[in-house]
Amino acid sequence: MIKKVLIANRGEIAVRILRTCKEMNIETVAIYSTADRMSLHVQLADQSVCVGPPSSIDSYLNMNNIIEAALSTGCDAIHPGFGFLSENAAFASLVVECGLIFIGPKADIIEKMGNKIKAKEMMREANVPIIPGSLGVVKTQQEAMSIAKEIGFPLIIKASAGGGGRGMRVAKSIDEVVPAYISAKTEAKAAFGNDDVYIEKMFENTKHIEVQIMADQHGNVLHLYERDCSFQRRHQKMIEETPCHTLSNSIRDNIVQDAVLAATYVGYDNVGTIEFLLDQQDNHYFMEMNTRIQVEHPVSEMISGIDLIKCQIIAASKRPLPFKQDDIIISGHAIECRINAEDIKNNFSPSPGKVEFVHFPAGRNVRIESAVYNGAMISPYYDSMIVKVIVVAKTRLEAIKKMRRALEEMIVDGIKTNVEFHYFVLHHKEFIDGHYTTQFADQFIKELLSQNEYIQ
Amino acid sequence: MNIFSKRKEQLDRFKAYLHKDQDNQSIKRSVPEIIEVCPSCHGATTKDTLEKNMYVCNTCQHHFTLSADQRIAYLLDKNSFKEIDAHAKSANKDNFTMYQSKLDQAISKTGHNEAFVGGIGKINKHRVCFGVLDSNFIMGSMGYVVGDKITRLIETATKRKCPLILVIASGGARMQEGILSLMQMVKTSAALAQFDKVGGLYISILTKPTTGGVSASFAMLGDIILAEPKAMIGFAGKRVIEKTINETLPEEFQKAEFVLEKGFLDKIVTRQELRKTLSDLLDLHQHRRR
Repeated sequence: MIKKVLIANRGEIAVRILRTCKEMNIETVAIYSTADRMSLHVQLADQSVCVGPPSSIDSYLNMNNIIEAALSTGCDAIHPGFGFLSENAAFASLVVECGLIFIGPKADIIEKMGNKIKAKEMMREANVPIIPGSLGVVKTQQEAMSIAKEIGFPLIIKASAGGGGRGMRVAKSIDEVVPAYISAKTEAKAAFGNDDVYIEKMFENTKHIEVQIMADQHGNVLHLYERDCSFQRRHQKMIEETPCHTLSNSIRDNIVQDAVLAATYVGYDNVGTIEFLLDQQDNHYFMEMNTRIQVEHPVSEMISGIDLIKCQIIAASKRPLPFKQDDIIISGHAIECRINAEDIKNNFSPSPGKVEFVHFPAGRNVRIESAVYNGAMISPYYDSMIVKVIVVAKTRLEAIKKMRRALEEMIVDGIKTNVEFHYFVLHHKEFIDGHYTTQFADQFIKELLSQNEYIQ
Repeated sequence: MNIFSKRKEQLDRFKAYLHKDQDNQSIKRSVPEIIEVCPSCHGATTKDTLEKNMYVCNTCQHHFTLSADQRIAYLLDKNSFKEIDAHAKSANKDNFTMYQSKLDQAISKTGHNEAFVGGIGKINKHRVCFGVLDSNFIMGSMGYVVGDKITRLIETATKRKCPLILVIASGGARMQEGILSLMQMVKTSAALAQFDKVGGLYISILTKPTTGGVSASFAMLGDIILAEPKAMIGFAGKRVIEKTINETLPEEFQKAEFVLEKGFLDKIVTRQELRKTLSDLLDLHQHRRR
């Protein structure tokens, strides 16, 4: 069993991981950049090691320093959290080569799933529905044109190494295909050093449904049902909930079974997520697999009572998961709002600075995941997410009301946040109705900005 | 501003926007009548509790104002009271402005025709002539009908050689009736002198307020003068005196306790002990009868 873990991350997820470690009597080592010296994860960990200057490239992405920190403090495992090195296959294999446990799936799975084209191919082999499009990299403009004619419009051209919306271009008609192809390739080259792109049919008004997977090295692949992450701004999730309000039981079963099938086929052996796109006819298509813990994992925890970080550690320790699929009983409805330090009025630009005063909501079934405290500095170097508010209630409507109440209590003074933004979303008819799609957030933002005076 | 208040203000603005189409203004409601607030300590009590406690505040022992009927219920044996002259009604002979409407209001409010309710009843089996002034009726002021009713009750007591007990709550002579009301001071006092001559026992009980022409006549003529705690007893009002003599009066001025100290009262008796005290006094003075 793992005895000491280095947490190769920062912020709320680092705190989240070290809390579970402490509860499992596992010693914790935090790493930090010089900008994070006073961060909460550093204060709470048993030990901490500075791994470099503020810039992520030199600190939280600095594999050498991190592995050295783990070895020098006598850790036997590294938890990568999310972001940073969490889906970096080279890092995962380096960790293992250095005699440490990587708390996540095997490096080759990260590798395979990280390559979107390869992942899609494997899913096709596994008989999991995939989005119609090119089979692999589209090498020439002519090929792009012929695929476009075959699958129809609109279509989307994506970088195979991409993520977070970069290296993506949409073509709505035949004339747009070549320019979109060229600019996607250029952007992919600049962003990822790899200009491989592929083409997919673009669906409009879709929902983003993902299935939480838990697997171990003993061949157990379990699911923790789905999450609806359709509230996204520029492909960044802002609100997640579970279960999806609009799914019928039979469709839900199909989706989760396909997710288990997908994870089983690739030999998955840790906690991960399979993302699906759900069209208006409730057909689901595999989008991608996230081979890490996710930001929104607490909503699944809240309706199931399962600690997913603990599952990660158990699986990484080569032990079997302590439950079977039939033992997993979900109840209630959970919602998460991601509170970011950002200025809504100023096009959601980051709003770093000193948190003069913070007051977190509390009460029955309200959960806060955060590394913010009174006087904490929100650094401009890293992600602007500062707090996750998670609520669980019997029904979706009760959860919405609870979340509204929680946000009303929430105070973050000194920096600008999107608390109010969430508060308004939770009052919107379309959100309450639950049928909202990934297009809803943009439309909502337009609507909200016309009510300028109410936004802080 | 406090950061939480600031937040609340902000939320109020949001809510105004979010609920702009709805009319969900909360309707202000008054405290239901089952709640009574003590005028002295401002503590809230239910009417039930007050009733059980004879309308004395549990917290500060403040004695609430009682109606004539409540007095009768608290002091006399059950169903023993027979009212005399209940029908007597004041007439606005001088056509004093608003007087008639005040009378009409007071009659409908109290259910009695005048501020004085008198008759014959029993306290612990002792027959007594019993009268009570009701401050809910034009502040228990003494007009010619009140004066007449009191006089007639005194005369009944004289005739029947029966102890007389009066519970006073009055602002004094009734201003609307001018000199006629002042005459009542003389009339009642003269009747009491006759009562005294035949050896009648008169116990007066001073409650809040006992002032003006009433305190200057029959109220202060009791053979035994009792008072409720903190009852206001005096002639002219405190502010009037302060203005006249240009001096600040002591805080406890005109309070029963102060008046007792100065020798004008025999005893201060709480409401709960009043019936027992009266019964004991009547026991002690039994030999006066016949």
